[in-house]
Amino acid sequence: MARTRASKGSNTAATDNSAAASTPKSNYTIPTPSKNPPKIFILPKKATDAARIVLLLHPRYAKPTRYLVCPETGFYEFTRIAAPKSTPRSWLIQADGHKPQEPDTDSKPVEKDASFGTYVTNGAELFVATPIDPLFLILPTLIDSSGKSEKRRYISSDDHFDRIQEESPHLWEILRWGEGRIRGLLEARLGAVCDTVDAGDERMFQFSEDKLTAELLSKARRMSTRPLPRSMEEKFVVKPLEAPVLGVKRKTTTSTTTTTSTSVPSEATQDDSSNSDSASGTPTLKIEASESASSDSSTESGTSFASDASTTVTSTIASEESTTESEALLPAMVASPEVVSLQRLRTAFSFLCSSYVPPSLATILHSKLPAEPGADFGVLDAYLSEVNRLKHEAAVARSAGDYTRKRVMDDEELAERAEKKRKKEEEEKRKKAGESRGVRDLKKVNTTGMKKMSDFFQEKGLRIYVKGEECTKLMYEKKCSGN
Amino acid sequence: MLEARLSQSMVLKKVVDAIKDLVQDCNFDCNDSGIALQAMDNSHVALVSMLLKAESFEPYRCDRNIALGVNLVSLTKVLRALQNDDLVTLKAEDAPDSLNITFESSTADRISEYDLKLMDIDQEHLGIPDTEYAATVTLPSAEFKRICTDLQAMSESVTIEATKDGIKFSCAGDIGNGAVTLRNYQNVEKEHLNVDIELTEPVSLTFSLKYLVNFCKAQPLSDRVKICLSNEVPLLVEYLVTGTSYLRFYLAPKIGDEE
Repeated sequence: MARTRASKGSNTAATDNSAAASTPKSNYTIPTPSKNPPKIFILPKKATDAARIVLLLHPRYAKPTRYLVCPETGFYEFTRIAAPKSTPRSWLIQADGHKPQEPDTDSKPVEKDASFGTYVTNGAELFVATPIDPLFLILPTLIDSSGKSEKRRYISSDDHFDRIQEESPHLWEILRWGEGRIRGLLEARLGAVCDTVDAGDERMFQFSEDKLTAELLSKARRMSTRPLPRSMEEKFVVKPLEAPVLGVKRKTTTSTTTTTSTSVPSEATQDDSSNSDSASGTPTLKIEASESASSDSSTESGTSFASDASTTVTSTIASEESTTESEALLPAMVASPEVVSLQRLRTAFSFLCSSYVPPSLATILHSKLPAEPGADFGVLDAYLSEVNRLKHEAAVARSAGDYTRKRVMDDEELAERAEKKRKKEEEEKRKKAGESRGVRDLKKVNTTGMKKMSDFFQEKGLRIYVKGEECTKLMYEKKCSGN
Repeated sequence: MLEARLSQSMVLKKVVDAIKDLVQDCNFDCNDSGIALQAMDNSHVALVSMLLKAESFEPYRCDRNIALGVNLVSLTKVLRALQNDDLVTLKAEDAPDSLNITFESSTADRISEYDLKLMDIDQEHLGIPDTEYAATVTLPSAEFKRICTDLQAMSESVTIEATKDGIKFSCAGDIGNGAVTLRNYQNVEKEHLNVDIELTEPVSLTFSLKYLVNFCKAQPLSDRVKICLSNEVPLLVEYLVTGTSYLRFYLAPKIGDEE
């Protein structure tokens, strides 16, 4: 009897589901996939045993999303890290009976017994729990209540949380955890974005967009103190600030750097170091690369320098030197550290808005941003518009006068062309050889005013010969029948 | 298959010499009546038509119509080996790749044999009607050649004017102008020096001298040449080869080129 794959499959399906992996009847039986395969989480050490994974509404997309909540240490969001579909990977998981040494790390309430077994997952997903400000989780309910700022009233935190209950019941549940610690945490975060009024022993809250903006801005500022993650930095900070590289050296570059450093002497040392720092950010500068490494290390020490007049002078010279060195490849403009940090700040702010804030609120926040102290993007905007102008100019100049971008022929094409030329020449030579001097001379005769012979004599048709025999009389016959 | 033996072997050489400066490649159409050739120059303003009748050959045999595509320069190279009183034999298969040419010395027992590669040449074939020409002039071929070469030194074109008084070749060039006039001339002793003009109506036409000089290369073929003219019709220059075999040249007149 022919054994089919289907019959095999049904056999294994009959075996115990959880122990599917440990049925060594045949080396080649494929166990049925587990319905609830284990997932791999990386949980914070500081999260306690009481921590649970709960379903809460995502602040941005208003979809139920899983969060890790620990009554002691707060809220954590999960970030899924997975290999791209094009490069499939899997986890080999083995949890063989004994409990892990540190119960702290294992906050999942999964029972560890012998039947847990060994698994091979079909996707190498990794969930990393990272702390999240619970403020974001209560934001959607806050703004739902506040359609317009005039209509907003001061309401107690209880009322706020009552509203949450309708949206995400899990949140209501966790509010009661840990002797109200979570509740206290949430209330504190609520206070950060709301105007508060003490009414008796109760605090009343009213949502304030300005406060939220300030809060987000401070988060963004903290984010921007250091370079953003590399891919983000590259795409949102370095690229937009990069001016087109012009062959001609622009005088304006040096002059701007000198003016900034002289007008703001206190920032002079920092200016110098981060100027070359930003220069190293543009990929065209190779000479600067070694320098930037040293100047990077001096950034930290540079702040401790006494910013007197003498350092100002030296920094000016340094910046001028660096520009003249790389004359040919220097970009038209180099972003000042101020501009870079502003761009970073703005990027961080819009990142926060786009990942944790409901869209409607995000637009409001963006409009409120310029009014915020310390968020004056004037310098950055001026710089960006200048860069845009330069880019436009460069594009125009290229389209108008650049002929060097013609397609370059590769060797194969060249060889082919040479071969063709050679063949043509050969053919011509052969033809020349079969041509008498008289025939050649006749070609030079002025035949203007002379009609063709076919104008006088009727064509009998084209005769085509193959090996001395006429191969078709079609044209000839056609002529005859026409006459 | 073709087999044609020509006792007057020089005829072939002279014909080819006359044509080779006008045409590069051409087909020799062989059929049972003889070997014919029609070809135009590169500019298609001149046409050469040749017929070597079967009677000219001894013997002549052609079973099927075949066209021998020949490069005339190559043929000339072969014919250079031809000696004055050799017998020439042309041989070809029915679907020939090459033309076999044999030279037999009549005095010594010497046979030279050549195979000439043939080529497929597609060419237009024109039907040339028999035309009643307004003027027909027969004159010594050397005389015609002389006139043409002389006038070529003056200009690039000649006007041939046939009236009842005679035939006038005139030209005008940068350095001046010149004219040669021939009248009817009868020489009983030396008939080949006769100039016969038959005229139905006066004709005046202009031709390129370069082409005419080129035609005159056929002069060794015959000591007489016949020139036929009619308005608006190509000039015919005919050399009789042997018997009724002929070599004819046609040349389109120059129209509207008079300064």
